Amino acid sequence: MKTFNPDAMGEKLLRRFAGGTSRRGILARLGLALVAAPVFPVLPVSRASAAKPDRSPEAKTTFARNAQSKDDTKCDYWRYCAIDGSLCSCCGGAVNRCPPGAEHSPVSWVGTCINPDDGRAYLIAYRDCCGKSYCNKCDCDGTDRETQLYVPQLNNDVIWCFGTTSMEYHCSTAVLVGTA
Amino acid sequence: MMKVQRKSSLSARARYSAAALCALALLGSANAANAADPLQPDPELEAVTLSAPKPSWVFVERGFVAPGTTIYDTDTGKMLGQVETSHLSDLGLDPNGKAYYVAESIWSKGLRGTRQDMITVYDSATLKLKSEITIPGRILIGGRKFNFVIADAGKTAYVYNLDPASSVNVVDLTKGKFVKKIELPGCASLMPVTGVGFSALCSDGSLATVKVAAAKPEITRSAPFFSATNDPIFDNFGYDGVKQEAVFLTYTGQVYTVKLGATPTISEPFSIQAAAGVSPADTKPLDVHWYPGGRQGLAYHSGTGHAFVLMHTGEYWTHKEPGTEIWELDVAAKKVVKRIPLEDPAEEIAVTQEPNAKLIVSGSAGAGGSGALYILDAKTGEEKFKLEKSGGGVIRTLEP
Repeated sequence: MKTFNPDAMGEKLLRRFAGGTSRRGILARLGLALVAAPVFPVLPVSRASAAKPDRSPEAKTTFARNAQSKDDTKCDYWRYCAIDGSLCSCCGGAVNRCPPGAEHSPVSWVGTCINPDDGRAYLIAYRDCCGKSYCNKCDCDGTDRETQLYVPQLNNDVIWCFGTTSMEYHCSTAVLVGTA
Repeated sequence: MMKVQRKSSLSARARYSAAALCALALLGSANAANAADPLQPDPELEAVTLSAPKPSWVFVERGFVAPGTTIYDTDTGKMLGQVETSHLSDLGLDPNGKAYYVAESIWSKGLRGTRQDMITVYDSATLKLKSEITIPGRILIGGRKFNFVIADAGKTAYVYNLDPASSVNVVDLTKGKFVKKIELPGCASLMPVTGVGFSALCSDGSLATVKVAAAKPEITRSAPFFSATNDPIFDNFGYDGVKQEAVFLTYTGQVYTVKLGATPTISEPFSIQAAAGVSPADTKPLDVHWYPGGRQGLAYHSGTGHAFVLMHTGEYWTHKEPGTEIWELDVAAKKVVKRIPLEDPAEEIAVTQEPNAKLIVSGSAGAGGSGALYILDAKTGEEKFKLEKSGGGVIRTLEP
């Protein structure tokens, strides 16, 4: 997986997060996670990925080869390559916005998805919308580069409603962070 | 509808005859009833009680949407009761058969209010609340077997937490008290290690082992042996607490066996596909192979050392695809000894630890749904029972 660089993804995401939140409690916990980050070395993985990414169809996953960019209420919409849960775009929200009354989680798991229109890989932050009961519409489960619980930032089963007033999971958004 | 149509098609004469016959029959039964004693009123109502859990019992979570864990007897296919497990909670089985433990998180006002994390203790006979043990927190996630584990012959519990730094809460079940919190950066999925504490899988591809009793818990790590991002080990793995062994399976189908201890020994891996005589799988796109998958895709029978794995065909990164076959793997012999095709693709699999083991398989119904639960004879693959809308979440059996 030459396209895969968890360190850079994490940095981009956390910079974005740091600019947009003021919750000290969650920051303290995140700080601990960040301090701890060097202890669990994902570095060998990112160093190995220094080569230029291969974007040929032969290098794409099943999801990426079949993804579309027109309808964000369908599971095969390109940003949903590693989403899990109800699409907020089917629950009164949008691909990157929570439905009325739900609260964006400031943190998220991430995915690297390829846009079929320009062939570029983008970092997608799957930010849960929280505080309302499960929407249970348009349930999708993209699993590109999705791993297990010991790499939580790449696991899509965790309830990511950290730092919100309620941890009840409602639906998931797919926020474009930048090129991967 | 059919009944009404048949009735209305009777001729008037036939209806009169039928009425006369009914009247006679009623008269007859009234006479018979008079001759015997009348039915006695029901006694004071008391809820049914249960025996201690048996190896033939299975505990089935109802999935992401519905709370409650259902107990079935795989000998009869009958539901015996329900342990009250709240949304995203984890059930722990007391090896002494006295209690059911539920690690759970609830809020004082339903979806809002003050968060309360606890281990709730239920009596195994009455399934009534015995006590609550307050803990500082726990992870919220569905579908995992190793976030809440019972150790030391039922005396200790370990509860995994992610907030989003990761840690483990140590609980003394005998005293009903939270003992301490151990920071565990970059690792998750807990395996009790006798006389030591626990081991966990880590994001650097190592196995961490934590000495719990020390004043400052000592964490040692094995040399990295797998890739946590390119070929991860499924975090629902096989574990045998008595033999202190674990069986790990990666997304591509590599199988590792681990002898747990203060210094664990990790075997060289082998391919489950090669063990079945088919081509080993890889991580390349467009390569179609048999891959392991599902949400709880591996069940381990300690008595025989056989693992039962849900397998499907497809490309890499399809690790949540339900299985269309069960592969029975003799782990020591590195040989797939049987393949059982499944009509209804399965998300979860478990095995009873009886000598004549039964497989319990939960059919796929999509997120939020509740698929059928199948009880199969592990030897023949024959379906013994099919229970509609009874699957959906983690399946547990009594394990050594």
